[in-house]
Amino acid sequence: MDYVSLTKTNRLFWLGRYNERVLSITRYMMYWYDRMIDNSAIDHVDYCNRVGIPCEYSDPGSFMQIYLFDKENSYSLRHAAEEMLGNGMVLRETISSKTLAYLQMAVNALELANNDSAPGVELQWVVDDVMAFRGSFDDFIEEELIRNIIKTGISIERLSLYLRLEYNLESMPKEMKKMMNRLRKSGLETNAMSLGVIDMYRGDQSENVSREELLRAVESLVVV
Amino acid sequence: MERLLSHKNQINSQMARYGVKFGIYKNGEFLERLFPFDPVPRKISAEEYKKLETGLIQRVNALNLFLADIYGEKMILRDGVIPEEFIYRSPGYLSACENFMPPKRIFSHISGIDLVLGNNGEWYILEDNLRIPSGASYPLIARSLCRKCSPETFRQNNVIDNRDYGILLKETMDNVNRGGINVIYTPGRFNAAYFEHSFLAEKSGSVLAESNDIYVENNIAYYKGNKGPVRVGAIYRRISDEYLDPLTFKGESLIGIPGIMTAFRAGNVALINAPGNGVADDKGIYYFVPRMIRYYLGEEPVLSNAPTYLPYYEEDMKYTLDRFDDLVIKDVAEAGGYGVVFGKDLKGDRKKEFIEKIKAEPRRFISQEIIDFQDLPIVDGDSMVERKADLRAFVLAGETTKVWPSGLTRFSRNPDSFVVNSSQGGGFKDTWIMSR
Repeated sequence: MDYVSLTKTNRLFWLGRYNERVLSITRYMMYWYDRMIDNSAIDHVDYCNRVGIPCEYSDPGSFMQIYLFDKENSYSLRHAAEEMLGNGMVLRETISSKTLAYLQMAVNALELANNDSAPGVELQWVVDDVMAFRGSFDDFIEEELIRNIIKTGISIERLSLYLRLEYNLESMPKEMKKMMNRLRKSGLETNAMSLGVIDMYRGDQSENVSREELLRAVESLVVV
Repeated sequence: MERLLSHKNQINSQMARYGVKFGIYKNGEFLERLFPFDPVPRKISAEEYKKLETGLIQRVNALNLFLADIYGEKMILRDGVIPEEFIYRSPGYLSACENFMPPKRIFSHISGIDLVLGNNGEWYILEDNLRIPSGASYPLIARSLCRKCSPETFRQNNVIDNRDYGILLKETMDNVNRGGINVIYTPGRFNAAYFEHSFLAEKSGSVLAESNDIYVENNIAYYKGNKGPVRVGAIYRRISDEYLDPLTFKGESLIGIPGIMTAFRAGNVALINAPGNGVADDKGIYYFVPRMIRYYLGEEPVLSNAPTYLPYYEEDMKYTLDRFDDLVIKDVAEAGGYGVVFGKDLKGDRKKEFIEKIKAEPRRFISQEIIDFQDLPIVDGDSMVERKADLRAFVLAGETTKVWPSGLTRFSRNPDSFVVNSSQGGGFKDTWIMSR
């Protein structure tokens, strides 16, 4: 039996969040790399506003480079990947070295992508490693509660990004259902007011809940 | 062996995959580096190992008896074998540990003994590390990765498997556990040896805990589980004595466990290694270990110390000053390759200043003959070069005292250097103990 302290609970939750952040942003940026070939560019100012980060980039090209790969930029994908790995490292005995290795590999792939003329190839490895991590922890960790803390973090981050970017909104009901199911099995403490808003959204009053309200509820749902 | 070398790149990529790193603070910044691994192992024959094993067990048993004596009856002082000054003025001596015997009279459960192999074929002990010796995790993971990369090499060589270190560690902890879970207690993510802490927790099935995860109530230690408190029976603590308990030692410590010393003294939790061991691995006390072996065990030491002089003794002071350029001088309060000065490297005013320091504080220094120790081959690009290397052997004192049939071979990457510590840029090798 694995013993989970409050500190560890917090880390498991944030491991899930950062893991999803890395996956979603990588996929999203791979899409924009492809669009750039046809001279379309990401509206980086709008993107920064939506995800709530300062926009200090001169153009879409420098945004892509810095936002994806600059380790020193605390809003970058690379930074999120380091945070993901950092949370994983302090959970080694819970998630196992084998599982942790996939996080290390994702960070290594991101480092390689930075120096590659075709970063999309290495970014695909980031996606693969993150997905392999998920398979590995699901297979390795015996305690359902631990698995569900990580998965709740994943779901919360995914919902947050969907709402911020107004992306994949058609999947929201399905993702919300998955998140609530995981949350119930995670033993995580919840904020009653946020839960109320989410219940309204899931019930017959969804039209009375604005996107902003729902985002706030999702962000503050878990008390860690 | 050639096969293993041909897989060097695969081994290194496996090391990167598993993040085999150590931390270092440089200019106040925490940096994590991959620990450079050289695929050419150090080989120790079965016959040679037998002698090493006997000598290491003998040494650790004597050191444990010494610690029990020093914090108890102090017979060795009464009999004049060691001057009192070397005990009570040692920074490692802790009065808080007086008159208390840890479970099963074991103080040093996990000892890291540093040795070098002289060009004369003799092993010499360089240092005893009885506080929180690091390094077992590196050859442990390296072996697993090398086996994966080059199975043929291990089929063709009779190398004793070293992958049971986690089991040995668990047995050592279970042996003194006072009822409850085993915990590895780390100062946290930004400790130089964090990789090791987390890796050993995984391998020994212990819970990895840090500040705020453990509290003491009614002299019993508890882990703050999310389903309620869980009693802790043994703590392999990877923080220094002075930070261990702010109620007993440094009050400003934020990484310790308040009250853990009281729980320890009440016999409710085992601390691995016991606090106060620093008195026995002080570089000054090293000089006296052969005497301890004779005193406590009535045996001649199987393994020799490097020839060492204590400027504390008039005769040794004279020798040290006369042969200053031929000796290595060590500050007994330093560790990790720091505070080591080769006499020949000091010139002019720096030399004069240093000699004045020795004269002013003779107890603070030891001097040693520079052992002409064997170089080991290291892969450097496409060629092989020779570099200085030492060996840290791990001795575990549980129900019986056992030597882990492996060890951390560290080498200097600088051709002119004798300093092998990772914090000084050194790398490591696997250590093969041959079964025949």
